[in-house]
Amino acid sequence: MFKYIWKKEIQGELYTWKSMLWLIIASLLFSFTSYLLLTNKELSLLDQTELMLLLGQIIIGVALLIVAIDASSIITTEFEKETAESLFLAPLSIKDFLLGKFLASLTLWASIFIVSLPYIIVASLGSGLTLPFIGYVAFLGTLGIAGFISFIFGVSLFYRSTKNTITTSLIVLLILATPALFSSTLKNNAPSQFFSKINPVDNMFSSLDNVLVDYKTAILENWQFILPLIVFCLLMAGFLVFATKRFKNQGIIKND
Amino acid sequence: MKKITIFLLSTAIFLLAVNVFAKSVSPALVLDISSSKTLSGTAGDFVTVEGTITNSSSQPLNNITTYLSLADNDSKLPVDLEDWSAEKGLYIGTIDAGQKLPLNWKIHFVKAGTYSLIIVAEVAGNELPQVSSITQFQVSLKRNLNPGQVLPVALGMPIVLTFILFILSYKRRVDE
Repeated sequence: MFKYIWKKEIQGELYTWKSMLWLIIASLLFSFTSYLLLTNKELSLLDQTELMLLLGQIIIGVALLIVAIDASSIITTEFEKETAESLFLAPLSIKDFLLGKFLASLTLWASIFIVSLPYIIVASLGSGLTLPFIGYVAFLGTLGIAGFISFIFGVSLFYRSTKNTITTSLIVLLILATPALFSSTLKNNAPSQFFSKINPVDNMFSSLDNVLVDYKTAILENWQFILPLIVFCLLMAGFLVFATKRFKNQGIIKND
Repeated sequence: MKKITIFLLSTAIFLLAVNVFAKSVSPALVLDISSSKTLSGTAGDFVTVEGTITNSSSQPLNNITTYLSLADNDSKLPVDLEDWSAEKGLYIGTIDAGQKLPLNWKIHFVKAGTYSLIIVAEVAGNELPQVSSITQFQVSLKRNLNPGQVLPVALGMPIVLTFILFILSYKRRVDE
């Protein structure tokens, strides 16, 4: 049954010109960044691997932002348009409903990743790191974005309002993304280092740095970044399970 | 008496001239850029400027600071070393009589052009600095990493996606 929801969302979300516009905006951002990085005389004096890292961070950052906005509305619109009631009257479990929506949000990430592939290939030509670059952007991006989608879905079931869900999601994203962009010299005290170790955005960027700048391409060499990301995904999945149980107890029509 | 006065004056002038001449031909510090032949490169390269400082006097010299001075031959202007080198000045301290010390600066070629480089040494208490001979070097242009490949992708991807968008919109309208 989740396949029906997934297909419906892909047709309703990705098949429309409004959703395609997100991909065009993403591609324009990647075009501008890669052209600037690879042709600007002073910026291009940076090491190629540093340019690749910057491009990788931009790809994951743009994808996080677009998917966060999309995931914030994908569930809540069912409540706001009052279509949730008829959906749950059909033989559809909440698990299938969430799984279908989850896969639809991941499909948006997959589309952004596919759009970013030519830029990744062009930026990494001659570096010998094209495959690790593609692999790690896909792997880290999928892990991080899956965790964020679970969190946003949980928040959606709590709020049932697009405005509140988008605001909360963007604030959380901002809180996590801003310190991840700080240089290591600003993270030399214990609280910053601790936050950096548990911050999923920081772990995604640090792992990319480890692969592209330090040439540590093996999974085991990146385990210290991947493990917190897996823990983040599991915690967010737990949060979604909790929010789903609470939603089931409250019923489709919230009585509070 | 007159002869003695003239003799003394002549001797004083002679000694003064010898002293000035000695100072101008044999400076206490001798500076040399030993890596002058290997300096040229491409913008973006990191190179090491190697030099030596020698105390040719018979006395130890204290509080010596050495630094690089770089000038752009095309613009006839000195170059701000802020972007070129993190190590702007090297403090030597004391150098014994006859002692020779190596000097190293790691520099990053930022911009293409022809440059003149000298090493300058300042000794505390001396009015005039000591300088090495001028080394000329060339930094060739590095346009970018891959101008030929990024442009088709940077322009092509948004165009291809816009084209797909129009096809999808048209198909959707036909289906409806």
